[in-house]
Amino acid sequence: MNDDGKIIALILVFAPLSLVSIGGGPAILAEMQHQAVTVQGWMTQREFADLFAIARAAPGPGMLLVTLIGWHVAGWLGVVAVSLAFFLPSSLLVLAVAQVWTRWRGTRLHGAIEAGFAPLAVGLVFAGGLAILATGQTGALAWGVALAVTAARIWRPKLQPLILLALGAALFALVRAVGW
Amino acid sequence: MTGSDSSSSPVAQAPRQTAPPEVGLAELFLLFSQLGLSSFGGAVSAWMHRAFVEQRGWLGETEFAAALALSRIMPGANVANLAILIGQKLRRWPGAVVAVLGLLTGPSLVVIGLAVLYRHYAGNPVIDAALEGAAAAGVGLLLAMGVRSGSAVVGRGPLAGRRAVYVIGAVVILLATFVLIGVARVPTVAAVGVLAPLSIALAYLTGTGPPADEP
Repeated sequence: MNDDGKIIALILVFAPLSLVSIGGGPAILAEMQHQAVTVQGWMTQREFADLFAIARAAPGPGMLLVTLIGWHVAGWLGVVAVSLAFFLPSSLLVLAVAQVWTRWRGTRLHGAIEAGFAPLAVGLVFAGGLAILATGQTGALAWGVALAVTAARIWRPKLQPLILLALGAALFALVRAVGW
Repeated sequence: MTGSDSSSSPVAQAPRQTAPPEVGLAELFLLFSQLGLSSFGGAVSAWMHRAFVEQRGWLGETEFAAALALSRIMPGANVANLAILIGQKLRRWPGAVVAVLGLLTGPSLVVIGLAVLYRHYAGNPVIDAALEGAAAAGVGLLLAMGVRSGSAVVGRGPLAGRRAVYVIGAVVILLATFVLIGVARVPTVAAVGVLAPLSIALAYLTGTGPPADEP
């Protein structure tokens, strides 16, 4: 695929996802993985998981995996294209809805939309987690670390995400170094 | 709007109309850059509240609360939505553009820098293993968030009447979302397009409001 083709493909993948990213980026993780690895063949599953890890470790609004995919596929132009494709549709939508929002707020429909999106957002988050883990390559250790971190965060919500990421990284590096 | 419009609450009718002092676009950009770069793992909205409502008084509590609620409902990264709404309130559309650019530019550069390092060191078995471990831990963070929001959907209190209908229906929709998208790999746009109206209708008909457990 030439560069123009790649840019167009990035836009076609991310613009529609912009409007279904309910609750933010994690909602479209599963679809991003499917598109990037299986459909478009932009990267291997390993690379996708690595970019996911890098994006989690960086500061910012939590949507940086999108940026990284753009960068990986088509360099700086890819970053610009994917950022516009992903942020513009939802941004225009939120600005438009803001115009009528004060009349809506507190109505039964408003409450229903918020309550209605909640179970979808949760299901999407779990699907995203599965998309990273359940790919055959990651073994029991990955599942173990994921579940241990889940439990740790539920038990102690104040535990710093970066510390947990570092612990997971250290454990894997140690296991690899001793040649498991 | 006519004088007989009595539907809005007094709070909604009297937003803080003191126009904010003329905020420079460059100032806005820098402020959002700072907020974006200093936000590790969430809580950005709390920082925005501090910066715009408490410290500078550019927005009233009601305005901020309305923007926050809207930014959470709408698709898109919640924090970016909130930045856009705040920027728009302060400086119209140039403000919205500057706010979101400020929020995203710094963190984007940082994360690309990390990715450049990654390309450099990829292939080193220990680095590769470390990233795999970090990804697994990252999934754990995600799942914990899901469990927390999921328990807010189910809520506490007796399962009876309309609440029981809503909770059972919501759990079915949650599982259907997970299975369709995570297991059957149905395209997200299609699955959400079908399930979202069902889920909203369920909440509307059972008179359910937003989950109470929002942070």
